[in-house]
Amino acid sequence: MDHENTHPGHHKSRLNSQIIAITTTGILLGFLVILQSRSFRGVQDIIGRDTRANVFREIQILKTTNENLNAEIKDLESQLDKASNRQQALNAVQDEIKKDRILAGHVDVEGPGIQITVGKPIAVIWLTDIVNEMWSAGAEAVSVNNIRLTNSTVGFDLLPNGQIALNGVPLTAPYSIGAIGDGKTLNEALNQTQGVLERLRQSVQGVDLTNTLKDKIGMGKVI
Amino acid sequence: MQKFLNWKIQLVFILTGVMVGLLVTTQFKSALPSSSYPYDELQAQQELMKSYSDDQAVLKSRILNLRKQIEIKQTESGQTIEKNNLDILNAIKNEIGLSSEKGDGIEITLNDGLLVKRNNPDVLNQSLVQAADLRDVVNLLFSAQAESVAINDQRIIASTSITSVGNTILVNNFHLLPPFTIIALGDPDTFLQRLHDPAALPDLQKRTKEALIQYAFVAKKNLIVPVYNSDFRLKFLTEANSTK
Repeated sequence: MDHENTHPGHHKSRLNSQIIAITTTGILLGFLVILQSRSFRGVQDIIGRDTRANVFREIQILKTTNENLNAEIKDLESQLDKASNRQQALNAVQDEIKKDRILAGHVDVEGPGIQITVGKPIAVIWLTDIVNEMWSAGAEAVSVNNIRLTNSTVGFDLLPNGQIALNGVPLTAPYSIGAIGDGKTLNEALNQTQGVLERLRQSVQGVDLTNTLKDKIGMGKVI
Repeated sequence: MQKFLNWKIQLVFILTGVMVGLLVTTQFKSALPSSSYPYDELQAQQELMKSYSDDQAVLKSRILNLRKQIEIKQTESGQTIEKNNLDILNAIKNEIGLSSEKGDGIEITLNDGLLVKRNNPDVLNQSLVQAADLRDVVNLLFSAQAESVAINDQRIIASTSITSVGNTILVNNFHLLPPFTIIALGDPDTFLQRLHDPAALPDLQKRTKEALIQYAFVAKKNLIVPVYNSDFRLKFLTEANSTK
């Protein structure tokens, strides 16, 4: 006869230690589940394509935008004044045509800025995100492999062979992405913690990424 | 019977243990608010952002109005300004998004998952429409030869940035809220072919299949894409070999 199995005191004590063990295991399990879920979300945040900037950045963006809009209004008011004066009207229209031609990509342009080089083929989303970050940081003109992005050339396409095309032209690595604007601001935006270039380095092994501030970047007109 | 009861007790304790573990860990990992008055701070920030957004709407409306007035003045001065010059100007304005356009195309609707609240900090990213989703859709439409595109009446031009700040989305640095209606003018058949391609927008299609977000598109006639109502920056950019 096995006394250990039948003695009521023994049985109770064994049950108690089982309960303690099970409860402790449960608590540990719950702790691990939460940690795992949090670290998974952390990884997702790293992989996620949109930087979760804070509310202060949002306020800064809105403030700068309003300053730019006010500057645009001043410029337009000056244009309106000129348009009201018959003698100045012709000059004003010619000035506007000149400005709009620069924006539309009808003429060769230049200016200071930043040049990014990506050494190996990457997915379309990375080019979309890099270009978007450049516009967001105040770029005034952007080109990819010497094709300037304007309303008539924008849109990266994926060819059946997996190659990226822009404006009907297949792009081959290394990709050279140039942006004209405030080089310092562009550099800071592109290289911010968890910014697009850091995420690209983390996601694509050996991507061979370089960025160079330049006093002058030239971009040809859109053909 | 005793064995069955033991098993039941064990199950209850396991579940209790798991629950306690979850609660302890959640409590342990909760971030402390940075301010002694977090609610007041948040409210002040939100009021400031609302004030900037309201100002922005007024400024954009003023820009549209001024551009219209300039156009009227230029037409009135038609005798002084050669018609040729006005035609050139109008054609370029059309190219850079300074005129509204009407035509056939496609309307795409993107919305967050059902019953999802954007301002809930614990909401899963996957069940929200992300700025990246909008960028991918816009890129696909332009690569399918869209003549013009708009998201919730914000005209998209080459230099438009679509970014996300926290859980909000800025298009042309203007706050947009879901649902997002994307309109593109162009060949509806080309758009439909591209959008039906299983290889296009894989993440969006996957999340739609899993009912995490809502995504639909339909070809439509007589769509209107509004005029671009924000600023153009020309501080660093000059015509090559010219003095500004």
